[in-house]
Amino acid sequence: MKGWKGLAAGAAALAVAVSGCGTSTNSGSDAETKEITVWLMDGSAPTTLTDALNKEFEDANGIKVKYEVQKWTGIQEKLTTALASSTPPDVIELGNTQTASFAEQGTLADLTADAEQFNGGEWLGGLKDSLTLNGKQFGVPFYAANRTVIYRTDLLEAAGVAKAPTSRDEWIDAIGKLKAANASNPDFQALYLPGQSWYFLLSLIWDEGGDIAKLDNGKWTGTLDTPQAKAGFEAYKALYDASAEKKVPADIDEAKPQQMEVFGTGNVGMMVGLPWELAGAIKAKPELEKTTSAFPIPSKKAGESAPVFLGGSNLAIPASSKNADAAKKYLALLSSKKYQDMLAEGGAVPGTSKDTAKLQTTAIGKAMADSSPNGKVTPVTPKWAAVEAGQNPLKDALTAYLTGAKSLDQATKDASEAITKAMA
Amino acid sequence: MTAVKTTEAAAPAGDLPPALPPAVTGGAPKRRRGGAFDRALPYLLLAPALIAILWLIGWPVVSVFVTSFRQLNLGELVRGEIVWTGFDNYVTVLQDERFWEVALRTVLFTASVVVVSVGAGLGIALLMRVLTPWVRIALQIAMLCAWAMPILASTTVYQWMFDQNYGILNKTLVQLGFDSFAGYSWFSSGTSTLSVVGLLIVWQAIPFLAFSLYAGLVGIPRDLYEAAGIDGATGWQTFRAVTWPEIKSLLMMVTFLSTLWDFKVFTQIWVFREGGPSGESTTLPVLQYLEGIAKSHFGVAAAISVLMMVILGLITFQYLRKLLQTEEGKI
Repeated sequence: MKGWKGLAAGAAALAVAVSGCGTSTNSGSDAETKEITVWLMDGSAPTTLTDALNKEFEDANGIKVKYEVQKWTGIQEKLTTALASSTPPDVIELGNTQTASFAEQGTLADLTADAEQFNGGEWLGGLKDSLTLNGKQFGVPFYAANRTVIYRTDLLEAAGVAKAPTSRDEWIDAIGKLKAANASNPDFQALYLPGQSWYFLLSLIWDEGGDIAKLDNGKWTGTLDTPQAKAGFEAYKALYDASAEKKVPADIDEAKPQQMEVFGTGNVGMMVGLPWELAGAIKAKPELEKTTSAFPIPSKKAGESAPVFLGGSNLAIPASSKNADAAKKYLALLSSKKYQDMLAEGGAVPGTSKDTAKLQTTAIGKAMADSSPNGKVTPVTPKWAAVEAGQNPLKDALTAYLTGAKSLDQATKDASEAITKAMA
Repeated sequence: MTAVKTTEAAAPAGDLPPALPPAVTGGAPKRRRGGAFDRALPYLLLAPALIAILWLIGWPVVSVFVTSFRQLNLGELVRGEIVWTGFDNYVTVLQDERFWEVALRTVLFTASVVVVSVGAGLGIALLMRVLTPWVRIALQIAMLCAWAMPILASTTVYQWMFDQNYGILNKTLVQLGFDSFAGYSWFSSGTSTLSVVGLLIVWQAIPFLAFSLYAGLVGIPRDLYEAAGIDGATGWQTFRAVTWPEIKSLLMMVTFLSTLWDFKVFTQIWVFREGGPSGESTTLPVLQYLEGIAKSHFGVAAAISVLMMVILGLITFQYLRKLLQTEEGKI
């Protein structure tokens, strides 16, 4: 028996020693780069842009581009795993609300010194802030977009709504008319609004003068239980209830199912969405191209547009990338005016060029450009990621309030406390 | 030709059992004199398999245990830093009242799923004994199909069935006259969500349980039932006196296995509502995922894993003790 035990201990020690060897980390860049891996997100850059960009980069540098498109759902988890691996991608796209936390953990390469070659003088302010930590830049702005109300011109016309609503009351009124005109279709949604569309909730809360959290002496406190924030929740419920007889489930968000797919069925009059979502709906149903348009999310004050969440992405190079030099060349090419114009043409506010002329040419681009000066972001702190990842208190509060599981006071109080706790 | 010869030569050798005992007695002292190498040889031959097992099974367990004493966030992971924090992770987890709430929920959930699935499996196994062959075969094929279905596929089907607006369940209930189920949400509370998830898990578990228990039942000699019948035993008495003693140990084993499986269910719960609404269907594996993957606190997640093992150990303590006793008795 003694021999057996000794042997087992020896084997265990060996197993530990051998597997320990594999965990040493590599960093820095190799002289010989043959291929770089680029991860961009679903719907971010048009294929025409990426095809041209990848080809130009491959021809100029003789380095192959392994281009992979990622889905937004679960990306935080996927990036965590990828960044911790020994072969991370060399260029990644990060949501602007995620960038701070990844930078704080030291997982992104510091690009401050290289800003010049990325067109540093023309960076979009809101995005630049989101990738700056302690005065250093950990990425390059990619593009920004904000939500507008995308609608079916033919349906609104048929319902007798002559012009796009310019106040929340007019909007609710238009929804009512749209619903009445399509009463014969049991699956019709005048406004497709799933119960957990929390970016849109932010618009309403900001429009009422509220906010998510406030910073006092370095400590964040949730402020969803203020009267202004509660008014935002009430506005959401008013729109949600007005939208349709057969309600959209209160416990799903705009990504599950993709609201563009629902819009593409033709049973939807309006949705609060991003340009790429409209593009997706048109791709599924090409005849929608001629019958869709957009207007900025109306404020409760007539004639104004509500503040919007400025969504967007930054590009970054993982600190553990082995091909950092090639990755920088790739980013420099992407930051050039040629490709930034293509981004604007594709319907996004470009990140490293101030020229938005190409964006203003479409209805949705114009609606977006009109409301983007009013763009706001979630609290810029690495701590925000803990709120958004996993079980988002804002989503929980919306579901609980809309289904009646909790009163408005209780739902907002719980959410505020959860935010305070997550950001502690 | 050589092969044939070898076989012929080997055959007589096998026919000489009386010659063996002397050979063994004569061989033993010789081997003792053979020294350390001869004694170590069997273990050396076992070593490759042993190392493989330790590597595949032992190392991850050790790694989780070690990680639970480290501060391991995304930064430490990427930089390869090792920061020891002693019992800090455990203190964090145990002081969080949510952990206790979730742990209690997980235990209750596991217990109800195990009881229902083992009960249903046993019921179907008993039923299979009395069915006519072709009905039994139809039932077995149906169960095999259910068993062969990938977890994610069946979870998606259940989501569709229970869909608020378009689900077949709500539509059927409305057709039957229960109008209040039009647009009824089955996922409005944690209990309701976990009930649906539990139903799915029971459905997925029944085939294995029914087949295993049926295999046990088939092994019981028919004469025992005949004897009980002659003595005038009722169905229940027959079950108590004949069936139960024969399948008790098998039933214990499948209950033990089910407990292990159902305690660590993650996929189904996460796919349904990500532990919602308001975290009310969050169980320990989901909590571990939220801490580890969503928040990148791998040390805390590892501590939760270790605590999960402790809880599982406590739940199955009685069975493990019996198992070990029997093993020792046999040796």
